[in-house]
Amino acid sequence: MYDKIVAVTENRPLTGGHFLLSLDSPEQAQATRPGQFAMVRMLGRSDVLLRRPMSIYDVKTRDHAAKDSARRARPAPEHPCILQLLYKVVGRGTRLMSELKPRDRVGLLGPLGHGFFEEDYLPRAHEAGEILHVAGGIGIAALLLPARKLAEAGIRQRLFFGGRSKEDLVGVDDFKPLVRAMLLATEDGSAGYRGFVTRPLDEYLAKHSNQRFLLFACGPWAMLQATVELARKYRHTCLVSMENRMGCGLGVCLGCSIRVQGSGHEAYQRVCTEGPVFWAEKVVWEKETIAKT
Amino acid sequence: MKTKSGSKNPKAEIENAAQSDAPAKPGFCPRIETEIAGIRFQNPVWTASGTFGYGQEFAHLIDLNQLGAIVVKGISPEPMEGNPAPRIYETESGMLNAIGLQNVGAKRFLTEKLPFLRTLRARCIVNVFAYSTEDYVRCIEILNAGEGIAAYELNISCPNTRCGGIIYGSDPKLTAEVVTAAKKAARFPLFVKLSPNVTDITVFARTAEAAGADALSLVNTFVGMSIDVATRTPRLSNLTGGLSGPAIKPVALRMVYQASRAVKIPIIGIGGIASTEDALEYFIAGARAVQVGTANFYDPTTSLRIVQGLRDYLQQGHLHLSNLIGSLKVPESPTPSSA
Repeated sequence: MYDKIVAVTENRPLTGGHFLLSLDSPEQAQATRPGQFAMVRMLGRSDVLLRRPMSIYDVKTRDHAAKDSARRARPAPEHPCILQLLYKVVGRGTRLMSELKPRDRVGLLGPLGHGFFEEDYLPRAHEAGEILHVAGGIGIAALLLPARKLAEAGIRQRLFFGGRSKEDLVGVDDFKPLVRAMLLATEDGSAGYRGFVTRPLDEYLAKHSNQRFLLFACGPWAMLQATVELARKYRHTCLVSMENRMGCGLGVCLGCSIRVQGSGHEAYQRVCTEGPVFWAEKVVWEKETIAKT
Repeated sequence: MKTKSGSKNPKAEIENAAQSDAPAKPGFCPRIETEIAGIRFQNPVWTASGTFGYGQEFAHLIDLNQLGAIVVKGISPEPMEGNPAPRIYETESGMLNAIGLQNVGAKRFLTEKLPFLRTLRARCIVNVFAYSTEDYVRCIEILNAGEGIAAYELNISCPNTRCGGIIYGSDPKLTAEVVTAAKKAARFPLFVKLSPNVTDITVFARTAEAAGADALSLVNTFVGMSIDVATRTPRLSNLTGGLSGPAIKPVALRMVYQASRAVKIPIIGIGGIASTEDALEYFIAGARAVQVGTANFYDPTTSLRIVQGLRDYLQQGHLHLSNLIGSLKVPESPTPSSA
């Protein structure tokens, strides 16, 4: 984990108030493991204090990233130098981020957290017939690096991706080469199924009830809860990448703790440290407690 | 990995503010050690309870040996699980928290956390929390076995627990009761952390002093709240939380000033300190040490930058820390009424 001041190389607006922020940080890009996140600090602001947690969407070599930084000496081209964060403007912090321009500087703490392959997840992925990614809205940002790693390992994958409207379905082109199929859903019916992403997921799981799947899910609490119920119903294992407000990302403020199975001070675990990826069965899902913004 | 973020901080220029004075005498070396309750601290810049974990979490980000002291997360006699999420919310220039004192408990603190803290040059101060006077005493009795604890900081000001904490800090009778009992039990010096959620801070400062406190830490957080207007629900599960950060600094500074004039025991200033200038204000107001809190969350290098900034300021002014403490020059009138 590094705490650095890094330069913006690109802050590309996408549909629906989403942006793809590219940051020049070779050490942090190379240290990133799939499912980890970073904390962004807006410099020179005394009203917006705290860093904002963001999934690390992708890491890129300089050849594939913005040209601004190409002049500088670079390490071997196969090493990623650019770290990308996919985010949606939801509040003060992300609004400020959306105004960043190339060569602006931000504080970047990361990579942080316990990602998708820290334990025995990869063998479990091999055991499963297919990995089903389930993403809601900006939750998609946590799943690209895992999908790429799984694709490199030759594991079959399928993406279920839902949003309010088609403008929310950002990044689908990045997933196309990695997955066998994508099933989209929008609440307004502007793309794919009309309704929640769990509807096509339910249909798929019902149709293939004799297969074994491993689910990777990231999205709003209600979507995760519904996904975990489906996984339970069809007896599949599910890993969830949790979101929460965070104060520090270092495990000290205890602001991001969520309820998990256990008692005493172990009844809560920190999304920033023990997470963000948890086995779904470990999380206590009964009540929606995670902050919206 | 250390950052160079200091150079990019908007307040960085303040670190050089003292340079407008005449150049330092060659050979002059400011003394920044501070002594409180017979304990010598290598410098007066500490990290505040609840914002620095148990120290080790920051070991790879800054040199912990450069800190004056680390005040660890509030420790209760038994482990506590804390409040449901959401526990924090950022407000303008501040943050609300309602963590609810999630901690490992006194016994596990001694076996799992203290051995590391003991190896540091920074002093270890243990913030002590409980729900009743008996439990405060019990917690201290467990902690008394610990080697390497410099002092206790009695938390009678946590606003986020159902009972205990702030109840003790907002009733002078209960303050006197718990401080007296804790002082009697404590093997190490006893600092008392006061709540700002009172009408007159000097009443509580005097009460704690009379009950045997060796020093006072002030202030804890201000009770506040925030509402999500879209859902008309509170932003925190606990409904209210403690406000910290630069937003509270002027009020906390005023309280430190008042308390330092009301009592003879040392005052440790806390509240929104994020730069050298912030810390200097507290020293001038009368604080003998300061604690950096919320700033640790977004810039872990803050305390060390303040140590250096303080040294530079004193060097330029040919001062020692002791010359600075309580050196406020108050014009003839007006003067604050309750000072």
